[in-house]
Amino acid sequence: MNAPAPVLSMKNIETFYGPIMAIRGVSIEVPKGQIVTILGANGAGKTTLMKTVSGVMDPEKGQVVLEGQEIQGKDPDHIVRAGVAHVPEGREVFPFLTVHENLMMGAYTRKDRENIADDIDMVFEYFPILKERRDQQAGTMSGGQQQMLAIGRGLMAKPKVMLLDEPSLGLSPLLVQEIFAIIKRLNAEQSVTMMLVEQNANVALKAAHYGYVLEIGRIVMAGEAKQLLASQDIQEFYLGQTGESQRGQKRWKRKKTWR
Amino acid sequence: MPDGAFISDDMPVTLEGCATVGELFLHRCREKGDAVAHRDKDMGIWKSFTWRDYFDNSKLVAQGLMELGVQRGEVVSILSEDRREWLYYDMAVMGIGAIASGVYTTDSAKQLAYLVNDSGSTVLFVENDEQLDKYLEVKDDMPGLRHVIVFDRDGLRDFSEDKVIFYDDLIAKGEAAEKAHPKRFEAELEKAQPEDTITLIYTSGTTGPPKGAMISHRNVMFQLSAGMEVLESFAGDEQLCFLPLCHIYERLITVYVQLGVGSTVNFAESVETVFDNLREVSPHTFACVPRVWEKIYSSVQILRSEATGVGRWSMDQAIAAGIAKVKYKEKGEVVPAGVMARFKMWDALVLRNLRRMLGMDRMRRAGSGAAPVSPELLRWFAAIGVPLLEGYGATETSGVASINTSDDNNIGTVGKPMPHTEIKIADSGEILIKGGNVFKGYWNMPEKTSETIQDGWLYTGDVGRIGNDGALTITGRIKDIIITAGGKNITPAELESRLKFSPYISDAVIIGDKRKYLSCLIMIDQENVEKYAQTKAIPFSDYASLCRAPQIVELIGTEVDAVNKDFAQVEQIKKFRLIDILLTAEDDELTPTMKLKRSFVETKHKPLIDSMYGE
Repeated sequence: MNAPAPVLSMKNIETFYGPIMAIRGVSIEVPKGQIVTILGANGAGKTTLMKTVSGVMDPEKGQVVLEGQEIQGKDPDHIVRAGVAHVPEGREVFPFLTVHENLMMGAYTRKDRENIADDIDMVFEYFPILKERRDQQAGTMSGGQQQMLAIGRGLMAKPKVMLLDEPSLGLSPLLVQEIFAIIKRLNAEQSVTMMLVEQNANVALKAAHYGYVLEIGRIVMAGEAKQLLASQDIQEFYLGQTGESQRGQKRWKRKKTWR
Repeated sequence: MPDGAFISDDMPVTLEGCATVGELFLHRCREKGDAVAHRDKDMGIWKSFTWRDYFDNSKLVAQGLMELGVQRGEVVSILSEDRREWLYYDMAVMGIGAIASGVYTTDSAKQLAYLVNDSGSTVLFVENDEQLDKYLEVKDDMPGLRHVIVFDRDGLRDFSEDKVIFYDDLIAKGEAAEKAHPKRFEAELEKAQPEDTITLIYTSGTTGPPKGAMISHRNVMFQLSAGMEVLESFAGDEQLCFLPLCHIYERLITVYVQLGVGSTVNFAESVETVFDNLREVSPHTFACVPRVWEKIYSSVQILRSEATGVGRWSMDQAIAAGIAKVKYKEKGEVVPAGVMARFKMWDALVLRNLRRMLGMDRMRRAGSGAAPVSPELLRWFAAIGVPLLEGYGATETSGVASINTSDDNNIGTVGKPMPHTEIKIADSGEILIKGGNVFKGYWNMPEKTSETIQDGWLYTGDVGRIGNDGALTITGRIKDIIITAGGKNITPAELESRLKFSPYISDAVIIGDKRKYLSCLIMIDQENVEKYAQTKAIPFSDYASLCRAPQIVELIGTEVDAVNKDFAQVEQIKKFRLIDILLTAEDDELTPTMKLKRSFVETKHKPLIDSMYGE
């Protein structure tokens, strides 16, 4: 792909759950300043791939390279320090800490303590609701607010690359639009590099520059987001468009060709 | 009849006293009664169906068709995956003197319309909603169709349309008709004459539109009676059906040979599960195309490469012991006791398990046909104790014309002519065939027919030679012969089948007609090349990027070089390109049996070809 040098790249990753091979040889590149999305159905291996990057799981084979340094197999805290922030599926904010404390937890690994206050202001600027609720316990907030907090907490680490695992999960369509608008702004204005895992292919491809489609642990398709949006297979299997039918309804699926 | 003698057209051909497939069907179903005829897998469980079911269901379909007004000599098209009901339709249509014509499920709506119109079909059987949608798309282009019968009601509960009825409606009609006119089907069965057309088999049509080959009762009966003389088939045999029944190869084996011997046919769930189904069924006889045998071979090679050092070593020893034995057998010599003992030992230690794992532990005869297969592959299967035998035939010879047998196997040839079949080579090198298996002609194409059958000889369009041992070797298709700019005649089939023997190459097309040198378009074997890339840590994302990876191009390059070594300078492949689109059977470039079609490849990938002749 014609893009800036990759901040993060994965080469021939294989990851197992015991005897089950969840990632069966995946190579992905995340160029600097871009959003790369990984699409896939349940069980395709998207989250496993994220966990392999952030060090929660170790690959059996292959390399994860962050700015030229191999980071696979290292402990998660080391990888956070190296510059990878993981915003996990289901937000996982600290429920009994306040919004402010949660954000401070995100900055825990930083050495430049003096800039933290500015960054908190920056997060508040993108997510004004968090400012309003800065002293509220995170666990008492709505799902959308928690998602915003989780993203904000990720930003506080000043990451080189941010991993977003299904930010749209369990949110109303309006909130999804709102959050993705902010994700796009963060990328454009703060040039945050992101790897975005999504089931909601429509919003993900509209936000991303480049996309990969993962099926049972393998990449079956890769391309510019625009190109993927135009692909018949993506439209039918990920965007739920069944195309024209003779009967006005259609139960069978066309065969996937991935072109 | 005298052994090996030619049977003239006026001599009857019978099997167990039956001269038509209709009589044979009636005879076999009565004889076998409650024995198992078919098995298929429903929700993960194998279910059995008897010969009585076979007959009764076919009878009801036939009665239903007669109620719909289907007359003798009309054509009925069948658009369905392999399933037992396909056979019910087939026997019902045959039984009432109509003509069945199969349509591939991978065919597009446009192709369906062409086949229905060309054959003049009045009734169309479709399997399910997916296939029904094809009909609906082109229904206005098929004015001759009177009825469409849908087998599977899933997703169509509220659907109703003029002309369209469901299978259960047809059966209900059949049941009513059976009450009103009992024994009508049996009477119709006996009306058949040996010369009547039983089926139309459309040739895959790599050049021009498909042509419907008319196969008669006599053609089929001839194949069966000749086959019985050379092939040991028994009533208890298990068979596995998974190639398209529209193709003469699977049709002959699954429908007609089954009637001939009274074996049991097991339907594979799908093409994807065929290797699992093979293991479950462990058939006694199994016929398929080279691509499947190549796939089995490469899966064993992969297993070997993933085994421990000891495992690999013993595998190699076992294969070597097998090859040593095969070498003596090929020369027709007695296998020395030492070689035999070594083979027996490795057979007990390794090969027996390997065969069981592949589902081939009971296999008495395995066949390969429909495309050339590499001799090395045949030797390898012989070495592991699977008697894989190559045969040759065409739609126009009702399936088989020559065959190797386990007693008389000449690896690298397609064997000797079937009993009562004559084969000779014309001056042009073309293979000519005469015998009771030569088809009646092309449907509605008298000129094409008279071009193809002259003085009783079938002009096959294949080129080959007959060796001193009487065995036929095919060198290629006349139309495929490449004449390079240097004037050298080259038949590409040999190079291509050698390339396909590589576990990394799935199919190849040699290019070079009127060109300076030979070049080649290659379709890689996705699974094996991905595995290779993975073990060598070659990054790739999707199929296209896999084909682009320089190390993969290099890998295929070494495979091409290895093949080149055995050929003279002018016959060598100078350049090659990988087709970086993962092709499926729906694509024009592939036949339903997954062979690359030269003419389509040459036009569709012209830029790729031109890039090899640039500068």
